[in-house]
Amino acid sequence: MKLLTHNMLTSHVKGVTKATEVKVTDVDFNSEFVSRMIPKIEWSVLVEAADTLGHLNDLPRDLPPDYESSEDFLRKVHHVLLEVEVLEGNLKCPESGREFPITKGVPNMLLNEDEV
Amino acid sequence: MEKEASQLERDHVHNVYEKIAPYFNDIRYKAWPKVRQFLLDQEPGSLIADIGCGNGKYLHINKKSFTIGSDCCLPLVDLARNHGHEVQICSTLKLPYRDGCFDAILSIAVIHHFSTKERRIRALKEMARTLRVGGRIMIYVWAMEQKRRKFEKQDIFVPWNPEPPSQKASQYKLRKRPQNTFGADCSSSSDISQAYRKTKSTSSVGNEEVHTLYSSFEKSLKIWLFSRSLDSILELGGSSSSATTKRLNPFKNACHLLNDTSRLELFKSNKASQLMEQVSNLFVLRQDSDEDVFSIEEFQNHRQSESTRSHLPKNDLGTKEKSKLPRGETCAKIALPDLVLHPDPLIREANAWNNPDCNMSMCPDPKTGLLRDFEKLLKMESPSHEERVQDKNTKETKSEASLFRYYHVFKEGELQDLIDTYVDELHVIQTYFDHANWCVVAEKIQVWKI
Repeated sequence: MKLLTHNMLTSHVKGVTKATEVKVTDVDFNSEFVSRMIPKIEWSVLVEAADTLGHLNDLPRDLPPDYESSEDFLRKVHHVLLEVEVLEGNLKCPESGREFPITKGVPNMLLNEDEV
Repeated sequence: MEKEASQLERDHVHNVYEKIAPYFNDIRYKAWPKVRQFLLDQEPGSLIADIGCGNGKYLHINKKSFTIGSDCCLPLVDLARNHGHEVQICSTLKLPYRDGCFDAILSIAVIHHFSTKERRIRALKEMARTLRVGGRIMIYVWAMEQKRRKFEKQDIFVPWNPEPPSQKASQYKLRKRPQNTFGADCSSSSDISQAYRKTKSTSSVGNEEVHTLYSSFEKSLKIWLFSRSLDSILELGGSSSSATTKRLNPFKNACHLLNDTSRLELFKSNKASQLMEQVSNLFVLRQDSDEDVFSIEEFQNHRQSESTRSHLPKNDLGTKEKSKLPRGETCAKIALPDLVLHPDPLIREANAWNNPDCNMSMCPDPKTGLLRDFEKLLKMESPSHEERVQDKNTKETKSEASLFRYYHVFKEGELQDLIDTYVDELHVIQTYFDHANWCVVAEKIQVWKI
């Protein structure tokens, strides 16, 4: 699970990412793609998730206003969004404590009958 | 009702897909052009979700966007993952995504697997929730109105029949893709899980050449369709499977008797009327290129060998011409529609089974023919103790007989009506018929609540 995917999850399941296995893979950098993606993500969530995984990559807590013009910044975001992947771990809902396992890179968010 | 609906979907959608998932691996289904175009029309940097992505055949199409897939079938999701896609396991009724986060959503062949109207609406609303205002959703559902298939009811069970008659799946190898281990011994679930784990990610994604190989088989593979009203299951209460068993028992018993030499007499006896009552809901559908099946080289060879049987004498069931047809077509065109229309042809059919010549022109191997398929079809249900003992004496393998998928086939306009009436957030902008499906493209609009 990439952190861009993680960013799309509801707060209900997003929770805290506990990872026991993280992989970093090379993905081709495309500045336009990253620039277009940034307004769609929840910045603070991305920063927190990256920090939890130890891949903060010097990302600032607040999104700089002129981010589109800084390739260096976009590359850092690119790395965190697309290159860092959680292979094994858990997503834990901070409120309910419900955990959702991530196995072989796939989060399982199926709920039991009584949770639906 | 909700509980029963959920149970039915688990038994006849989720569990079936888990079992048949290995068959989806080497079979790179052709991406339908209109779906492909919808994906390519999304602007670069879009976030796209394919809800019910299966093995992920649409996840690679728009490379300038970020496409994620979700499905509730673990083995299929694993296949998609093995191809390097971003996938999640979840229910379409409870998507784990935040409101308005997607620029586009794909829902191909998903809504027709929900067994009540209420659940179909919930699925539509749930997807609409995750779409941004201005974003578009494309929905495909199986159509009731099809050229080559006749449905008596909208709620139906469609058996999965991956094995062409009289041959084992393990005998087949896909032409041009010898490195793959297609269908190798998929008869038990443990084998299945091994099979899909063993398979490796190949670079075949989007390989149109491979796709064309499957079309001929797709066109000729027969599949049986067993149609009954969902309501009739739910009315009987309890689990759907036990209720189904009750209803099928008379037919089942009749079919066992059909193995005897006195088949024709049976049809003339009192049982015949009872049998026909059950059979009246049976349909066959000839496999179309738009269904999720695959082509196998050996099956074509088989067809060729069959065509050499054209010396067979004429009979009242089929002419020489027809006996040259691939078996799937032969059975579909001659034997099966007749079953639906009138009992007499069935009697003639039974007669034919006692006549070797007729047999040959219909189905060269009687064991793989019509009646055997009926039996298979019935043995899906858990038998009583007595029946289990009886089963031991037959050579039938039960494992492959239980793969019935539930569908709610949509009538023209039904999907659009559902959206117009119940999903305020979606505005239908296009609706059309494509590959035996009704398709709707809708846009999410801002709904002002006062």
